[in-house]
This record gives sequence, C-alpha cells and structure tokens, in this order.
Amino acid sequence: MIRHIVRKEFTDLLRDGRFRWCAAIVGVLLLVSLGSGLVETRRAEAAHSAAQETARDHWESQGEKNPHSAAHYGIYAFKPRLPLSFLDQGVDPYTGTSVWLEAHRQNDFLMRPAQDASAGQRLGALTAAQVLQYLVPLLIILLAFGALAGEREQGTLRQLLATGISRRDLALGKALGVAGALALLLIPAAIVGSAAITVGSPGPAATPLARGTVLAAGYLAYFAVFVALSLAISAWVRSARTALVALLGVWVLNGLVAPRVAVDLSKWLHPTPSAVEFARTMEREIRSGVPGIERPDRDETAARLLAEHGVETVDDLPVNVIGVYLQESEEFANQIFDRNYGALWNRFEQQGLVHEALSVAAPLLAVRTLSMGLAGTDVEQHRHFATAAEEYRRDLMRRMNGDLAENSRTGETYLATADSWAEVPPFQYDAPSLAWVLQNRTLSLAMLGLWLVGAFLVAGSLVRRAEVA
Amino acid sequence: MTLRTVLRNEWRLLRADRALGLVLGVFALLFAYALANGMAWVDFQEETLAAAREGNAERVESLETELQRIADGGRPSSPFRDPRSPSVLGGAAGAHTAVLEPGPLTALAVGQSDLLPYYYDVSIQTNESSFLQNGEIENPLNLLVGRFDLAFVVVYLLPLLILALSFNVLSGEREQGTLALTLSQPVSARGVVSAKLAFRAILVMGLALGVSLLGVLFSGGFGSPGRVALWCAAVAAYALFWFTLAAWVNGLGRSSAWNATVLVGAWLLLVVVLPAGVNITAGLLHPLPSRVEMITAQREASNEAVNQRSELLARYLEDHPELAGGVAADEANRAALAWAATDAVNRRLEEVTGVYDERLAAQRTLARRYRFLSPALLAQEALLDAAGTGDARFARFRSQVREFAERWRTFFVPAILAGEQMTADVLPGVPAFRFVDEQMREVSARAAIPLAALGGLLALAGAGAVVRLRRVTGPGS
Amino acid sequence: MSTQAVLETPATGEAPPIPVRAAEFEDPVLEARSLVKRYGDLEAVAGLDLSIQPGEVYCLLGPNGAGKTTTIHLFLGFIEPSAGRVRVSGFDVARNALDARRRLAYVPEQVMLYRNLSGLENLQYFAALGGRETLSSERLTDILVDVGLPLPAVGRRVGEYSKGMRQKVGIAIAVAKDAEALLLDEPTSGLDPKASREFSELIETLRGRGVAVLMATHDLFRAKESGTRIGIMRHGRLVTELSTDEIGHADLERIYLDHMQE
Repeated sequence: MIRHIVRKEFTDLLRDGRFRWCAAIVGVLLLVSLGSGLVETRRAEAAHSAAQETARDHWESQGEKNPHSAAHYGIYAFKPRLPLSFLDQGVDPYTGTSVWLEAHRQNDFLMRPAQDASAGQRLGALTAAQVLQYLVPLLIILLAFGALAGEREQGTLRQLLATGISRRDLALGKALGVAGALALLLIPAAIVGSAAITVGSPGPAATPLARGTVLAAGYLAYFAVFVALSLAISAWVRSARTALVALLGVWVLNGLVAPRVAVDLSKWLHPTPSAVEFARTMEREIRSGVPGIERPDRDETAARLLAEHGVETVDDLPVNVIGVYLQESEEFANQIFDRNYGALWNRFEQQGLVHEALSVAAPLLAVRTLSMGLAGTDVEQHRHFATAAEEYRRDLMRRMNGDLAENSRTGETYLATADSWAEVPPFQYDAPSLAWVLQNRTLSLAMLGLWLVGAFLVAGSLVRRAEVA
Repeated sequence: MTLRTVLRNEWRLLRADRALGLVLGVFALLFAYALANGMAWVDFQEETLAAAREGNAERVESLETELQRIADGGRPSSPFRDPRSPSVLGGAAGAHTAVLEPGPLTALAVGQSDLLPYYYDVSIQTNESSFLQNGEIENPLNLLVGRFDLAFVVVYLLPLLILALSFNVLSGEREQGTLALTLSQPVSARGVVSAKLAFRAILVMGLALGVSLLGVLFSGGFGSPGRVALWCAAVAAYALFWFTLAAWVNGLGRSSAWNATVLVGAWLLLVVVLPAGVNITAGLLHPLPSRVEMITAQREASNEAVNQRSELLARYLEDHPELAGGVAADEANRAALAWAATDAVNRRLEEVTGVYDERLAAQRTLARRYRFLSPALLAQEALLDAAGTGDARFARFRSQVREFAERWRTFFVPAILAGEQMTADVLPGVPAFRFVDEQMREVSARAAIPLAALGGLLALAGAGAVVRLRRVTGPGS
Repeated sequence: MSTQAVLETPATGEAPPIPVRAAEFEDPVLEARSLVKRYGDLEAVAGLDLSIQPGEVYCLLGPNGAGKTTTIHLFLGFIEPSAGRVRVSGFDVARNALDARRRLAYVPEQVMLYRNLSGLENLQYFAALGGRETLSSERLTDILVDVGLPLPAVGRRVGEYSKGMRQKVGIAIAVAKDAEALLLDEPTSGLDPKASREFSELIETLRGRGVAVLMATHDLFRAKESGTRIGIMRHGRLVTELSTDEIGHADLERIYLDHMQE
C-alpha cells in the first residue's frame, strides 16, 4: 500500500517544475560549495604545511646559540586543516591560524582570516554545511507543505482515505516520497563528498571516513526532522498557504533568530572578561604569583641547589643555576597560564553548551555543533590543537632549560652546537578521535535524537487527528 | 487626494486587523531587543576603554613617583626597570594604550567592532607584528554567528516584515473583489498601490527609524547628525527597495499565493544565497594572500636583520648622521646597538607587510565588486559605515596608531642613542594618542557608493513596477 | 409580432437608425461607436453602437456571455477596446479614463467591500476616492439609510452584512458620487422582492435627476419596470432595441425568447 503512495508522490514531485528548479539550484549550490571548499582547504593546508616545514628549518638552522636564546627565538605552530573541514569551515575563520611558541609566554593564536576579509564576509559563506543546514530544509518545506493541506483543499484527501488506506500509511508514504526526491539530490553530493574524502585527505589523519559517516547520519536526522515537521504542520493547519507561512516562520526562527539569540544568551549567562582585564590579571599574577602558586626566586633556587648537592658555591654545582631557575619560572608561569586560559576556555565551552541547549528550540543549533565537531572546526578542537601546541612549547622549554642546566655551569658563556636543534622532535599534531568528538557532542546528539523522535510523534498524532475536509 | 484617502482607509483596515497588529508588535519587540543588545555592547566597550585609559594614567603616575624617588636620591627598584633609561620609559613599562572610541552608532550596528582590535599598546617595541592582534576576547562561535543588533534586524528581518505587509497589496484587493469598486473611481491602479505602499512604508520606516533614533538618543550618538542621517538614508533606501519589489510583483497580476512565493524566493536569493555566493566566488577568484606566508617572510626578514647585527649600528648612524654626535664614538653603546637591530627588523617587517597589505587591498577591491549583486551586502556596508563599525574606520584607526608609534619612536629613540637619562620633567611631553575621527565628508563619500547602488536597484525595481502597474486598468477576471 | 420598431443591427459597424426621441438634441452621456472587444478568436463585443442620454435608463438584456459585462467594463476603461470608441460625457475613455470615471458610478454584480470596516467607513472611503471627500458622516449615513440600509447596520462591520446589504452600500457609493452616468451590472440579482422594489424606486429618482443609467440584467420584469429603453444582446451584438413605452411585459418576454432561439 505504502509503496503505491511513495511511487505516486515521487512521480508527482519529479513532474513538478517547481521542485525540479529548486532541486537543481540547491544541487548546483551544493556541488559548487563542495568543490570550492575542497579547493580552499587544499590551498590553506598546502600553505600551512609548507610554513610548518619552513618554521622547522628556521629552528634547525639557528647555528651556535645559547639554548635560552633559542627558546626566545622559539618556533611557530600552524594550525592544520582537518580533512573534513572542506565541508564546514566552522569557527576556523574566527580562530587564529598560528601561534608563536616562545620562552616565558603562552601566546594567543593570531591572524584570524575573518580580520582580513571585509564585513560583508560575515553575512555567510556558501559552504556545504550552509547549504545542508539552510537550503535543504527549505527545499523540504517546499516539497512537503502541501502534502496534506493541499490534498485536503483539492478534495483528494477524502478520496484517498475512502480507499481504505490508513492515515499512518498515507503520512509515511508522503514522507518516503519526499525522501526519495531528496535522495536524487543528496546521493550524488554524498558520492562527491566521500570521493573527496577518500582521494585527497590533506591534514593530519582524523579517521575522515568514520567522521564523514556520522556527519551524514547527523544531517539525515536533521532532514528527517524537517520532513516530519512539514507533514505535521501540513496536517494541522487548514490551508496549504497557512502551512507554508508557518513553516517559513519555523525556518526563519531556526536559522536566523535562534542562533543569534543563543549568542546573546551565552554571553549574558557566561560573560568573558575583556582583553584588557584578562591581560592585566595575567600580568599581575605573573609578577607576584597567587596564593598556592609562588613565584620562584633565583637566590632561593641557588640556596636549595647548594643544600641538595652539599657544596658551598654555585661554581661547585654540577648544574647551571640559571637553567634550573628558568625551568622553575616556566613551570610557575605555566600554572598561571593554565589558571587563566583554562578559565577562559571553560567559559567558551559553557557558552557552547548554551548554544547546544538552545537547540531545544532550533534543531539547527544541534546539527551545526555536530557538523563543526565532526569537520574538526569547532571551538573544542581548536582548543585541542592549542593545548597540543602549548604542550609542545613546554616540552621545548624543558629541553632548552635542561640543556642549559646540565651542559653548562653557572656564569659561563655556553653555546649549544649548531646540530643540536635537530635533536628536538618536530611538532606533530594528532587530531582527536571520533569518540572524543562525539563525547564532546553528547548534548547535540541527544537533542537531535529528541527532535527526531518528537517530530515523528507529533507528526503521527497530528496526521491521525487531521480533518479530512 | 487619493493618497490621503487611501492612507486613512489603510489605517482603519490596520486597526481592524488583529493579525497585522500582532506582526508589527512582534517586530517592535525584536527591534527593542536588538537595540538593548547593541547598547549593552557599547557599555562593555566603554568600560574596557575606561580601564585602558586608567592603565595609561596609572603607568604615568607610577613612573613619575619612581623618577621622583630616584631624583630624591633613591635607588631604582630594579636595574632592568630604571625609568631614567629612555628604553624603559618608552618601553612596556611606560606604554601608552591608544584607544578607538566606539563608533557613534555602535549601539545600532556592532559590525566589525567585536572582531577588530579597538586598542593597541604602543611603545618603542611596537612594530608591524604588533598589529597582528586579536582584538576583544570573544568566543569564535559567537563571532561566527554574529550579533542580534539593529543592523541584523534591518538587513535580514525587515524585508520579511515588508513583504508580509505588501505581497498582496493589489492581488488581495482583486481577490476580495474591492478592486472593481476602487478602479471605477477616478484613480489609477498605480496611484492606489503607491498610496497603499506609502502607508506601509510610513509604518515600517516609522518603526525602524524611530527605534534607531531612540537608540541614538540613549547612546548619545546625536553628536554626529550626519551619520544618523546616513543611517536613516540606508534604512530607507533598503526598505523602499523591498516595497518597490513588492509593487512590481503585484503589477504582474498574479495571485497572492504566487506573489508570496516569488517574493520569499527573492528574499532568499538576495539576502541569504547571493551574499554567501558572492563571498565564496570572491574567495575563489581573488583569494586573500596567506598570512601564514607573511609570518614566514617576517621571520626570515628578522633573522637576516639579526644576523647582520654587527654591521647595523654603523649603517644606522650613516642613515641618521644627525644622531652621530650624541653617540659615544669609540665604543658602541649597548642600547644604541640594540635599537639599531630593532630598527632594522622593523624596516624589513614594514617591507614584507607592505607587500602583503598591497596584495590584500588589491584582492579586496576585486572581491568587493561583487557586492553590487546583492542589496543586502550594499545595505550592510552603508549601515556599518554610517555606524562607524565598518572596516574603514578600523583601518583609519590602525594607520593613526602607526603614525603615533612613529611619533613615539621619534620622541624616545634620539635619547636612547644619545644615552640620555630621563627625568620626571619629560613625562608631560610624552606623546599621547588621540583618534581623529573621520570627517563627515569622507564618510558620506564612501557610503555614497553603496547608497547609490542601492538607489540604482531601487530605480530598476521602480521602473519595473511603474511599467507593470500602468498596464493594470481593471480588476481582471 | 408587434409593430414597434425592431431593428436588426447590421453585421458591419454601420450605425443603425435610432428611434427619434425628445432627448435626441442633447449630447449622449454614454456613447459607444462600432465597439469591438476580441479575446483571441472570440468577439465578446462585436460592433456595438450605443447612445444613452441624460434621464434615460437603458437596460441591456441577454444570456450569460452575451457581452453585457464586457460592455460595462469597456465604459469603465477596465479593458481596452480592440476597435471602436467609448465616450463618457464626451471624454474618450481610452484617452481620458480618469476623467471618464469621474463622471461614472458603478455597481458591480457582487458588491465586495472591506469586511473589517463598517458600511459607513466603506462608503467614506469610496466616496472620497470618487472626489466627494467633503461629504460629512451624517450626510453619508443619510444616503445609506435612504438606499434602505437599516440605521443600526451603518456602523457595523461589513463582514456581518448580507448580500443585499452590501448591494445597498454599493448603490449608496454610486449615489454619493453624484455622477452623470450610472453603470449597473446585474444589480438586483440576489435581492429579495422588497429590496428589488426599493431599488427600482431609487433608479427612478436618479433618472428624474437626469442621470443616464446603463443596466445589464437578466431580470425582464425589472427591465420593463425601470428601463426607458431595452437592448437585447447576443454574441456581442445588439440584436434589437425596444422602447418600454411601446411594449407590455408579455411582449418583452416573447421578443426576448424569440431572439434567443435562433
């Protein structure tokens, strides 16, 4: 029975000029966005990996130098693009692309691409994610708003039900018909997308296929929510026109209003400090420490070392006091950085949770968070990279200070050999696993699930109660 | 005569129709919410800037106390922080924070002010890499989404309100049958549609401009009436464009349902799809040069400069013979040598950055041509320019800070090279930053381009509407 | 067959001889010359000549699709003629539609009004559009009551009106305009006999004031009651013209049916 309805709906839609046009436009936009995303990502990734290599060259070719000078010289870390970032550039334009790893300081990520772009760029870029999040739901609405309201207006609903088919089957058939029409659009895009993933995967391995599969599932769930919502509203309201207006209202709320309200709400609930305030606090704490985190003192370090080694003067010590002191300063500063940056990152995470929680009113927020997470372009994965870079910096400083402490004596002029820099392992970033990403995104997953179940239940109930004429 | 009659009748119809009142009420709330948001952001910025200014004063004060103490025979608290040394007084310890006051109408349009830095610490260490800053601390996710400010409501939602009010301005009269009686009177369809749209325009623009002016009033933006006028002109031009488009579509003589579909499609295309498409096309055809490459170039430039350190002082003094007398000629002054190295790095950085900035500007100019395709992009540009939160005002701020850093260097460097000792007396003479805001003339000249383009689109839609409506002589079938 | 003048209109646009009347020395208020309106192959109006003097009530009779409504719409300038000319008080409708409409009042078959406004408010609006914005509410209320709208209904929303009440507002709009000519398209369809009777009296009053009336109708009885002249239309042509003084009710019905049978 359902089979017949599906087939009729499918044929009906395919013969509808409006659908053909809309689907063609959305399909072209989807392919264009996939292609341009791929080109852009590869360009960026090529630039980043070249720059990372050059940075390593700079590091290795420092020549004879005191290790602490080398530590001050430092090295740049460039944020790699993950393979799936061509689907969804997420917050990448708004996070810095590189960080200078140097002695004494944890630097900010600098050079946000958006700062170089014009203000108009902030009205959005046509990424595959945008097409999937905004335009495909719109297409679904256009396909399905008249599903029941239209049949009722034409009087065909009465006729259909008179054949003895159940309303549940009718609704299911309609939904599957819409799904079939959509599949014509989405399957080619999915093939192009997965080909792009398998053929060319720039950036660090991040199980792109597994991530891609979950991403596809997430979007399918999102589309299913819209199909169910459209059917529900089409069954509920009297005329097809009202159904269309109501669904467009839902679309505007979902896509335009709710995300921005989430921004304001998140800032209001979890305010972040101003940059001035943040820098001042950090400066104060570095200067004088905080209770429990005491600033090391060079004389105290020397005295302690003398006591430990049972010698009288620093000249008799087997280690360079300066090297030991520098490392102690690093570790002190690291605790201050962790305190402050940690608190800031946690704020960001809490703000992100507000966005996710608000997906109770707008499924877009859930699927967007999930999409950015799987594409590796969300705030959490930026933090993941920042943490990896900072750990590398700390390790680098430990090595430099260790070299100084162990291979020289206090007060002497020490130069490490030119080939010693290559002994430091290069910076290697491993993207987080799929499980790590999903664990961060449990709220979004739950919300999407909730929407899916909720939308289908509501659709079922409204279709059952729908008036026939 | 027709106009007044239709206006009065429309007002009666509006009062009688609860749904319409509800829609307007919802929009009034949205406007108020957007305004409150913008004002909160201005407050935050102003608090931040107050803290920055306080920091300036505190630094000067503590340096003054320290210098006074030393002059009275005290010892400097640390040999590295001896404020008598010009490289300390002009360095981080005495740095001056140059601040950009929020644009006069920031409460109406947050614009780029959440993304671009609006204050820089300037000291003798300031160089091109100092301008690679992040600006205000903000969650990247929030930057991505953008704010719910008046500019957002105007660009995205206002057209929807306009279309909801006007999609059936003629088709509705035809469908309910009143058009026959109306057109049997000595009035043209064009006159009636114009009058009906004029009524809606008065309502919508009254709401949009009223709330805007309220925002200006609360945030003290009346200091720049020219900007307020520009803002109002941009809102009016954009709103009129949508009204005219609705008139055109109504003139095609199709059903209300058809009009609604076409107009919503137009909104989607012009406001959602085209800007995104324009941005992606511009990005593909005219990619911005990679900052990543610039970093590498900067790094190489400074490596080179540092490696030639020994030759630097001599060359520096050759370039600045006026300073040679003050430098102890026999043995290179440490501070002078250090400065010479810094200066060499700075020059190379300027070269590298200059090349990059030129390429960036060229690409941006190319990319910005495409904005003429979308009234939403044009409106956004004009609105931000009027509000003073567009790219131009920030670029102006950066270039003034660059000049200020140069002044700062000119003040301190000769003293560094001469090995002079500073006293508390120099403090009042230390340069202070004051942003010279754009002349209204410059702002209007810049905003005239998007406004004129918007006017062109408006005229195009208007011509279409006039031609189509002239053909409407009867109520149709 | 009676002996009165029965004029077959020629196939070409030649003007038929019009019965000589007292009013012949005045200029006609409504005038159509060789009027043609084609929709593709279909000639909705095929060479119509019509001339209506002040104080005349001309009734157009004919089946659905005979071209009666098209003729009225041509007078109003709602549609453009394919050939021929339409004049109102000497103004060419094609060229001076607004001047023509200033002298015309029109009551459509279905008077549709703004449902959310009262009858008075609707009247105020349309009267003002017609150039009578100086009329006071009291005066307009009087007009509404004069055409038979119950006083309590004047201030109620039109959404609550019956069809007959809306029709009366439509007539009031025409009366308030104080026009030289009145175009009525099936004005009595759907009215009860009493209202219909009142309507005839109203037409009589207007005629007395020298208004030229063109009324398209199916209602033979009403046409005989109110009309001074009757034209029978078929396939866009005037097949016959009669003077009501010269015929009785029974004659009219027979003549009409005769013409419909061919």
